[in-house]
Amino acid sequence: MKSATITAVLGLVSACVLVAADGQSEAITLEAAKEQGRANSRFLRDTKPVANTTPAIPKANVAEFRKSVWPVLNRSCVNCHGPKKTEGRLRIDQLDPDLLTGPDTERWREVVDALSNSEMPPQDEPDYAIADADRGRMVDWLNGELHAASLARRDSREHSSFRRLTKYEYDYALQDLLGLPYALANKLPPETATEDGFKNSSELLQMSALQFETYREIALKALGRATVSGERPQAVNYILSIPEEMEKVEGKKAAEPSDQGKQKARKPRNQQQLFNRETGESVPFTAGKLVPRTGAVAGQTPPVSPVVLVLPRSSELKLDLDRFLPDEGTMRVRIRVGRSTMNPDEYASLRLIFSAHTSNDANFSQVISEHPIPVTAPGDDPQFIHFDIQLGDIQRNPFRKLTTAFPRRDEFLHVHNISNAAGGEEPLQVLIDHLEISSPFYEQWPPRTHTDIFIESANRADEQTYGREVLNRFLKRAWRRPVTAQDINRFMALFARYRPEFPTFEEAMVEVLATALATPEFLYLTPVAPAGETKSPARIGDLELASRLAVFLWCSLPDDELQELAERGKLRDPEVLAGQVQRMLAHPRSGRFSRNFVEQWLGLDGLNSVTHVKDASLREAMQEEPIALFDEALRNNRSIMDFIHSEHAMVNERLAQHYGIPRVYGPHFRKVPITPQMHRGGILTGAAILAMNSDGKDSHPLKRGVWMLKRILHDPPPPPPPNVPEVDLTNPEILKMTLKERITDHRNKAACISCHAKIDPWGIAFENYDAMGVFRTSIKDRPVDATSELSNHQMLAGMDGLKRYLLTDRQDQFARAMVHKLTAYALGRPLSLGDRAEVDSLTAQLRRRDDGLGDLVRLIIGSTLFNSR
Amino acid sequence: MNNKSLLLSRRTFLRGTGLALALPWFETFAKGGRGLTETPRRFLSVYHPDGVGLPLRSDPAWRDWSWFPRGGGKDFEFTKVLDVLEPLRNDVTIYSGLSHPAARQVHGHSNADQYLTGAPIGGEGPYRNTISLDQVYAEQAGNLTRHSSLVMSTNGGVGGPRGAQTQSFNREGRPIPAMNKPKEIFDLLFVAGSKDAAARLARSKSALDLLMDSTRSLGRQLSRRDQETLKQYLDAVRDTELKLTKAQGWIDAPFPKVDARNLHLDAEPKEARLYFQTMYELIYLAFLSDSTRVATFQLGRENGEGPHDLLSMAVGLGAAHGLTHEVKKPGGWENLGTYNRYQAEEFGRFAQRLKDTPEPTGMGNMLDNTLAMHGSASSSFHLSRNYPIISAGGRNLGFANGRYLKFGKGNEDNQAGAGIDSDAGWQGKVEVEELPLAKLFVTILQRLGVETDSFGGSTGALTV
Repeated sequence: MKSATITAVLGLVSACVLVAADGQSEAITLEAAKEQGRANSRFLRDTKPVANTTPAIPKANVAEFRKSVWPVLNRSCVNCHGPKKTEGRLRIDQLDPDLLTGPDTERWREVVDALSNSEMPPQDEPDYAIADADRGRMVDWLNGELHAASLARRDSREHSSFRRLTKYEYDYALQDLLGLPYALANKLPPETATEDGFKNSSELLQMSALQFETYREIALKALGRATVSGERPQAVNYILSIPEEMEKVEGKKAAEPSDQGKQKARKPRNQQQLFNRETGESVPFTAGKLVPRTGAVAGQTPPVSPVVLVLPRSSELKLDLDRFLPDEGTMRVRIRVGRSTMNPDEYASLRLIFSAHTSNDANFSQVISEHPIPVTAPGDDPQFIHFDIQLGDIQRNPFRKLTTAFPRRDEFLHVHNISNAAGGEEPLQVLIDHLEISSPFYEQWPPRTHTDIFIESANRADEQTYGREVLNRFLKRAWRRPVTAQDINRFMALFARYRPEFPTFEEAMVEVLATALATPEFLYLTPVAPAGETKSPARIGDLELASRLAVFLWCSLPDDELQELAERGKLRDPEVLAGQVQRMLAHPRSGRFSRNFVEQWLGLDGLNSVTHVKDASLREAMQEEPIALFDEALRNNRSIMDFIHSEHAMVNERLAQHYGIPRVYGPHFRKVPITPQMHRGGILTGAAILAMNSDGKDSHPLKRGVWMLKRILHDPPPPPPPNVPEVDLTNPEILKMTLKERITDHRNKAACISCHAKIDPWGIAFENYDAMGVFRTSIKDRPVDATSELSNHQMLAGMDGLKRYLLTDRQDQFARAMVHKLTAYALGRPLSLGDRAEVDSLTAQLRRRDDGLGDLVRLIIGSTLFNSR
Repeated sequence: MNNKSLLLSRRTFLRGTGLALALPWFETFAKGGRGLTETPRRFLSVYHPDGVGLPLRSDPAWRDWSWFPRGGGKDFEFTKVLDVLEPLRNDVTIYSGLSHPAARQVHGHSNADQYLTGAPIGGEGPYRNTISLDQVYAEQAGNLTRHSSLVMSTNGGVGGPRGAQTQSFNREGRPIPAMNKPKEIFDLLFVAGSKDAAARLARSKSALDLLMDSTRSLGRQLSRRDQETLKQYLDAVRDTELKLTKAQGWIDAPFPKVDARNLHLDAEPKEARLYFQTMYELIYLAFLSDSTRVATFQLGRENGEGPHDLLSMAVGLGAAHGLTHEVKKPGGWENLGTYNRYQAEEFGRFAQRLKDTPEPTGMGNMLDNTLAMHGSASSSFHLSRNYPIISAGGRNLGFANGRYLKFGKGNEDNQAGAGIDSDAGWQGKVEVEELPLAKLFVTILQRLGVETDSFGGSTGALTV
């Protein structure tokens, strides 16, 4: 009965493929392909309930192999993979059919992949063709045995999740722990990525003396910034009052009655100027020199003035701050600002640039604001926006303390308007009437970051008692576990040694706390099983679950709420857990998950190693797109099949312009409907993917093919062999060829064909996209030929054909790949055969829940894998 | 007549230093030193801003005041600019046709930053540098000595981006502050430091003890496989402890005893001769006592102004930077050449001093085991090409001297960019072929014993 169903399904697939491939009949739409492909899922055929408990470990079913599998292998495979010929170095007649204890399980995994993807036997060998029913039976047997082998091995998993935090996790953990919302760990060396692209994998996260010393240095510096001592320091305050600037000009004008200075608003409207909105008077104004105002208090709100500084698109206000900014501390730049018009298609935002002229013909400048801040308030009701900049982290003018006047000692702050304002009668301009710069800036004194460590206590005067209180709270938060008296004793002993060397309690304690941040309890994820755990595989405790959740969804430590639930043993309550996951995904910190997972999954770093995408805003937008796409799908529990194709795109103005999608304005990403004529939708057509997999001038089908196999289908090709013959570009015959022809030529060489036949066709289907990811129909005046034939003789007609094929025939493979990648990331370790059964089970559950990405995250969190050591 | 008075004997060199130092010091080092078994390999780079004189061949000043020698290979003749090196002829090599490709069309004022790094720092906007040649060697040789390197300049500190006052940049591309006060340098080398460093070390040690202790108790709760991972952490802590122990060793080890009475430790740059010679003497003493094997020294800053630009007062001339602007005035080429000649003279004096000192291990003299480089990242006016470079010594490292080596193609007579005195010059198209200076750096590193075949993105050594 079951095999009959399979035959029917396979028959259906082939029919659809034929229709699509010969191009005679109308190809089905991609949405229809999604539906159709779903019906083909082997995971949905299975009606067996998913076992959540450990079943009795089965035995290898060798009898069935002899009866139904071997005869088919013998007839259809052994001629090429046997004693006569050993294609692909595979001797199928010598593989041990006991997958549970035999040595050939990995080889059998390759066999089942080749069979279920219809890659073998080759379709041009009709003598060896395998009937669909036979194929189905073999695939079923192999999958069953692999499943059993996986279960048999899961107690002896090869990889552990015990690992140190990655550079970015450590950075976020430190930021969240200390309440310092900016990068702290740039000094750490970058992480190495696995073959899969993951940087959080236990097998690669090494520790060295240099790394260790850097942790200590970073911790000491960060604690120094979080805590304070002594009296509140006097802030340096600069104030730029636009009405006052206007008065100065008017005063000058009164002194020298000429027509210079003030004018009526007759000149070009789009000019940077002081402007009186009531009288229409205006004076050009681009730069100012500010001196700190003694006695001034920052954070004031003067009445809104009709006199404003008009800052048109792309212009900047350059302020000379002389040399009075302090060396360290937060610089708060607070600007009251509004828009001249409220046209919703136009936006304006401000960013800060810092510069100095250290020499004539040599100067430097840098953008110091992390993101531009949008200006949204109307001009007649301007609102304050602010930037917080760490003065110790930006490039300063090193000559500011010289006693001589050369080189120049002053420093400049530029306020730059980034906008898409068009010209015309009423272009959007930014209107500023008040600006303050204050440093060191503290919201309160002592700052919260300080009182979070040096807590209020009745015992403050008693250093011994208070020291224990401080340590208890700090260690508990940093280590994600309750601390013992012994832990505290150790650190108090250290404190006792340090105390005489420092004038204050706080300074000595900061040194001690820095040591606590160099312990494995802070630096590592420690899957310590609770005492008395007897289950196999051993379950992790609630505290470890909280840590694992926080690292997965926030790339950081648990917050107090999560930690407390874990300590009270409530976290395993399904409702509580679901509620926490919900809360964590809704928290802004979950954006780190989307960003870091997608960057690693898709290898978006690659865009940094190509140089042909010159426009920085375009490059940023390219890199952001797949992250925004994933994030949107995560938040709305959309189907992961939308990553293959979607009728919506996530774009901002710059990217929409690149893609030819009209009427998208502003720098933020949003979801917009697209038409087939735009040739976008999903991840494969993202400009970042296309541009990074190019050679800088043109598309690169090989790179794109490898990327597709590795990242999307999780079927990485073997590395290229040594002694690959180079493509001879000095040969004029080869130079004349198109890239596709060159590849075909190269592929036909005997040494190359076996691998390239598996890779190139995938990449050639992308040929309609150039090195910038722009859609094209011709290359060097010749029409683009993006048709290709997979090694199983499946024809792919360009990107549409590729997507259609993936959606009708490869949904299971993609779903499983996605489960595999996300699970490996969530666990921070590579997956192996022992994990296969659970990855299959997760895939089946995902498919049954309509492939929702949010569901996948929840399934992983609930899985045995995520809850075991 | 000219030549005779210019021939400098060893005696002149010694007298010139104004120091009565000789063998007794050396014996102190040799005996008090830690009994060297292997001969140290040393590296010094001296940088001078503003480039050199490069008149056109048609200019009457060409014959005497062009910096590069006439002729080539072994068969060359110094002009008046470098003739002070004649006594050391067989210990020096002159190079032309080398430059950093990324800088060739950048204004010379930004050049000091990238001379030893080759980084594409450009002329404006965001700034990023990379590790310098000396620090690559210091990473290897640095842990054999008390100081991994000695970084000096006349101006001190780090300077600004594109206005460096140090030649040395670390692995992250951050500038290493240069020392400029002879007294401070002397104290660093030969006088025990403050108690602070010792206290900091002691604190670190007790922190490490705690970490080892508590980590062991954590280890007991882990599976055997996870204990392996934790062992890596413990190893890192242990390695750090070893490093601290070594640092403690240096703190405890007695400093070499040096009689400072004859050193002018309060010399200032405006007393150019005295200052120069004192700084060179400190490098000599640092090498002799094996306090370090790596040193850099920057004379002035690009686009100089103020007291540090007055080194040229040593030869009775006005501010050094101005000399490059005034080459077309009467006597202009001669003035610039005279200042460059003075720089070469002091460099030669230092080289001679190394040559006159037998290597404490008996392997020839100190110059034979030292590669000392002297150069600038501009040749003609603000022109960031055809760097004028001298190297001295290194016989035992594999450097055959006594030659003027020309690299690249099409500029064998050094006339490309010659005689320019306007900005059109440095902005002009690169029309002759030069080789990346980084190739020479690779050669130097290899001969110092660093296993590498690339530097700053450039691969391959130079055949010298």
